[in-house]
Amino acid sequence: MRRNFENPNQRATPKGRSAVLQAKLALLVMINLAQLWILSATVEAALAKHYKEIAPLVIASGVCWLISVTIVLWWKPTKSKRSTIGH
Amino acid sequence: MSSNNLNSAIDKVLSDESDVREATSPHQRDFPYERDGEAQVTRREFCNFLAVTSTALFVSSGGFAAKSLYDSQKTEVLPAMKIEEAVTLKPGSALNFRYPTENDSAILVRSGDGEYYAYGQKCTHLACPVYFEKDAQRLECPCHEAGFDVKTGNVLYGPPPRPLDKIAIEVKDNGEVWATGREVGGWERA
Repeated sequence: MRRNFENPNQRATPKGRSAVLQAKLALLVMINLAQLWILSATVEAALAKHYKEIAPLVIASGVCWLISVTIVLWWKPTKSKRSTIGH
Repeated sequence: MSSNNLNSAIDKVLSDESDVREATSPHQRDFPYERDGEAQVTRREFCNFLAVTSTALFVSSGGFAAKSLYDSQKTEVLPAMKIEEAVTLKPGSALNFRYPTENDSAILVRSGDGEYYAYGQKCTHLACPVYFEKDAQRLECPCHEAGFDVKTGNVLYGPPPRPLDKIAIEVKDNGEVWATGREVGGWERA
């Protein structure tokens, strides 16, 4: 395990975990942008009374939300392998 | 001024943290505030914030869908209203009236062949009032130079995305003209 030498009491974030967090962040930002676009399209369709277009847009937004929740709640980095001798 | 004094003055100007601390010192005990701590947002916190934002965006989309579903179920019946002075309207001219409410301005046009056509007066681009251009025999919007067909309300040119809202007209036997309903213009262009 890497040690944080500047602050020995604090564990350093392992490289793999940091990469996973970074990936989560990037994905969430992209999903938020997509949802923002979907919301603007929904508003436009609602104001124009294009009712047929609204349901797919809401479903798409729901799928994006499910992906976001999945990423935040259940997508965890895999546990680091430990050998039987404790390393 | 010595260079040391100058440097300390520059440091003080560039970092006003000490002054803020000094100025707010009486309140520090009641409202403890650590600027460094406040400024730092961890990646995990930001991820959670994005998840909350995602939820808010989804709920907003659902809300708009529910609202439009409710609106689509609602059938609005507008009262019939006599358009005063329409009887005396000469062919090739127009007059303004208000329908269905006092806040909705509309325009009644009598074409050269004597037929009546009525539309909501708001341009479908940015809601400027349209007027009847007698020479060209079309409805025009002065704001962004748009033109609408008198007989259909369709866009002839310009930026409006859809036709004018049409007002249903009924001409009685005695020549009276009544507005009986209003229909939102579709998305087809002329």
